[in-house]
Amino acid sequence: MAAPVTISRVDTDEVLRYMGCPPEKADAQLRALVEGCAGELLTVARPRWAWREMALTQEPQGVRLENGLLLPGADLKGHLAGCCRAAVFCATLGAETDTLIRRAEQRDMGRALALDCCASAAVEELCDQIELELQGKFPGCFFPYRFSPGYGDLPLEVQGELLNLLDAPRRVGLCANESSLLTPRKSVTAILGIAENELEETHRSCLGCPAREGCQYRKAGGHCGR
Amino acid sequence: MDVEALLRGKNPVILDGGMGTMLQAKGLKLGEYPELAALEHPDWVKEIHRAYVEAGAQILCANTFGANREKLRRTGKTVEEVIPASIALAKEAAAGRALVALDMGPTGQLLEPTGSLDFETAVDIFAQEVRAAVKAGADLVMIETMTDLQECRAALLAVKENSDLPVMVSLTYEERGRTFLGHAPAAAALTLEGMGADVIGVNCSLGPREMPPLVEELRRWTTLPISIKPNAGLPDPGGAGYDITPEEFAAAMGELTKLGVKCYGGCCGTTPEYIALLKQALEGRTIRESERGPIPAAVCSPNTVVPMDRVRVIGERINPTGKKLMKEALRRGDVDFMLGQALEQMEAGADILDVNVGLPEIDEGEMMVRVVKALQGVTDAPLQLDSTRPEVLEKALRVYCGKAIVNSVNGDRETMEAILPLVKKYGAAVVGLTLDKQGIPKTTQERMDIAQRILDTALSYGIRREDVYIDCLTLTVSAEQEGAAQTLEALRRVHSELGLKTVLGVSNISFGLPARPLINQNFLTMAMTCGLDLPIINPNMGEMMAAVRSYHLLMNIDKEARDFIAAYGGATISTSITSGGGQQVTAPGAGERSLSQIVESGLRGEAGECTRKLLDTADPMTIVDDILIPALDKVGADFEAGRVFLPQLIQSAGAAQAAFEVIRQTMPAQPEGAGGEKAPIVLATVKGDIHDIGKNIVKVLLENYGYPVIDLGKDVDPEEVVRAAEKHHAPLVGLSALMTTTLHSMEQTIALLRKANLPCKVVVGGAVLTAEYAKQIGADFYAKDAKQSVDVARQVIG
Repeated sequence: MAAPVTISRVDTDEVLRYMGCPPEKADAQLRALVEGCAGELLTVARPRWAWREMALTQEPQGVRLENGLLLPGADLKGHLAGCCRAAVFCATLGAETDTLIRRAEQRDMGRALALDCCASAAVEELCDQIELELQGKFPGCFFPYRFSPGYGDLPLEVQGELLNLLDAPRRVGLCANESSLLTPRKSVTAILGIAENELEETHRSCLGCPAREGCQYRKAGGHCGR
Repeated sequence: MDVEALLRGKNPVILDGGMGTMLQAKGLKLGEYPELAALEHPDWVKEIHRAYVEAGAQILCANTFGANREKLRRTGKTVEEVIPASIALAKEAAAGRALVALDMGPTGQLLEPTGSLDFETAVDIFAQEVRAAVKAGADLVMIETMTDLQECRAALLAVKENSDLPVMVSLTYEERGRTFLGHAPAAAALTLEGMGADVIGVNCSLGPREMPPLVEELRRWTTLPISIKPNAGLPDPGGAGYDITPEEFAAAMGELTKLGVKCYGGCCGTTPEYIALLKQALEGRTIRESERGPIPAAVCSPNTVVPMDRVRVIGERINPTGKKLMKEALRRGDVDFMLGQALEQMEAGADILDVNVGLPEIDEGEMMVRVVKALQGVTDAPLQLDSTRPEVLEKALRVYCGKAIVNSVNGDRETMEAILPLVKKYGAAVVGLTLDKQGIPKTTQERMDIAQRILDTALSYGIRREDVYIDCLTLTVSAEQEGAAQTLEALRRVHSELGLKTVLGVSNISFGLPARPLINQNFLTMAMTCGLDLPIINPNMGEMMAAVRSYHLLMNIDKEARDFIAAYGGATISTSITSGGGQQVTAPGAGERSLSQIVESGLRGEAGECTRKLLDTADPMTIVDDILIPALDKVGADFEAGRVFLPQLIQSAGAAQAAFEVIRQTMPAQPEGAGGEKAPIVLATVKGDIHDIGKNIVKVLLENYGYPVIDLGKDVDPEEVVRAAEKHHAPLVGLSALMTTTLHSMEQTIALLRKANLPCKVVVGGAVLTAEYAKQIGADFYAKDAKQSVDVARQVIG
């Protein structure tokens, strides 16, 4: 069972990027809005997570987890080259975050957008913390960065099976709908590869990023800053 | 042996322990479906059940926790294969020594509003399980491990509508005393007892030592027996497993007899050994229920219980009577308008919101369902469902999560026979109007007689006395001046002689008179001193909330004047009403900025006030055409040129929106379609998709440019889009989808629009879309951002 995590900050620049505004172009008014929303979000969000260690095998169609679940596609397979195990995890900010954003949408879309993007940044922050926590459980091992359904050619449709594997509905209240979208909305499932030996380049750039095809920042001519 | 006898008896009832963890111990492999154990490992299942019977369990849960069609889909087996086999095994193992329950866990999908599973679909999923269990001879149903009160309601309704079986309902809570979704034990208790559960409880989630606060809360809000099935302690942070031994478990459970818990079992990590020791620990004990006090009158949403322990304000604003903007919104199907009204009233201090969407030309039932669902997505306020039509009330009651108020019945027998059974079935409270076929009685005694008749009839249907609220009816004092005193006297007598809670619509009192707020405020104060519990008022009127807060202060209900000081500390309140009536507009301090600067800078807070001032001297259309639209255009052009970015664009749109709201309020006389109103645009986030913030941003921008928007919301069926486009003669339909898995819904929607041969263009947008893909799925336009959708609208509509 996962140790409790708290998120104490969100990266304002990151939120601004999610909002479609280069951080250096944000004026004081906008920054104040984002900071106010970040504070509000952090009081409402109830971060929870669950994880499970899984042995994995490389197969022609993708990667198979020890419970028999096939994660299809070439991208994850390539990404996990050199890994015989993985930590599968999920994380959520909880349903109250969705309600907060819905409520804001009725009053002020500017605030709603800021809250929505603060929540996206907070989930990323949460995953960063979880990654660190998990890495600490496997001393001496090496880790490519986390990989989520929807990245590259790993279909979103595996979302439901990953949640089942983690018993996520019962343990953290996280489900997927019939289109394999996570509910509550501000949630993530991910696979963190675990390798015994040092991996080749895991530097983060758009070229190596499996999310590049659908990336909003690239579409807008920018990048996510990672 | 039957369930009723067990529950009626003096002794504790012993339930069984964990099944999943036991199956794993038997050798169930990772990746095997525990739901299929009855088919694939019948011996294991039988052995586990038998061990629990040996340990002393009086009720066994069949291995059906996940045996619903949603969860079974991936296994290739059906509900009709799994449930009878599972129940048969349990019955065989019980051999008459224990009862067998259909164990019914969550569907695995979240219901609206957090998820997208529709309420009626959930009812149907559970109903299929119940029917299979009835056929297989189950003795009762145990609904458990629920985190969503709405899903509990769906399951309970399915049991009630498809069987006569007794039913235990249990939710799972976090250490903060709420479910994952934030739902409260008190709300669960009020709601589920109202709907006819036989036992209410807690299972899974925590260990026995964490149970007392949850049990205490349940005790305060239900008269029903309470069940607990905790885990074997808290999860061990080091890895799998739980942190207390069978001995510790039994000892901690034994402590709970003091709280009057009736049924005891275990959940994850518990084994027959835990149950055997538990049985020993409880041996010879009797459970005393007598110390529980009466359950106070209260209503609730899943998160918030509102007890009638002080004056509770019912906000009256969600009602189209005499409100042109709301009528328009209802005709357009614009639910957002109602949500705005709701949030405004809550901020002003309303405790409960009345919801009336009756308009002859719309489908009231369908609209009621939409509005109730949407309201519960943004506010925690309990709702008062207000309609004259029983079929509308039933639709609303079905989807309302919590304990609602039904507004209303009257002393007429037919009305009561149509509506009171619904109140009972869905566990609501009800407003009884003291009138009947003969109209409103003249005398106080006649009103008392009707109140008594309503109460007696409600009681005969099994409705709690605390759930009957009487409305003694306000008569307009300008028409019948003697009426006010009679209303107050009837109110006083209903309060003191019948001991019932009272409701009163206050504002009608002053109709046709000058200085209405003065009359309303004083009448409200007089009514409260006669015992009024639930005034139906406009909480946005400062005078009315001031009267309520003052009453609470003066009656020593608002201890240490906390609420009063929070509301008025530092404020200056004018208590005088100047003759002549005109509202004085005080100039705001920040009057120096022009409206175009305010819009360009996105200063929403200043936009409304500035517009109001401008309207003193300028014509509304001039403000729109010469200031607002050019300012929006400038921001739009700056956005395209990369000088400003999405947040600024939206903030400007928000400021303009605030200005338009003021302008719209000042043009109430304008008939519909006048002023060159543009053709409407239908917007929807497609079926399956729940990410709609982008669509909502587009809506604000389009409305600013004067396009009426028919907003169908998110997760919208293709058929609904076609219907709306046809009905509103929309020349443009906008569709959004955020994820790759929902793009096919977008494609289907477009195909259906084409098939219907509607003369409309389609614009699409969303994160994963591209211009090429848009073309490929048959869209006419692709908008890469909200600004471009305005450009498309201008091109198509003008």
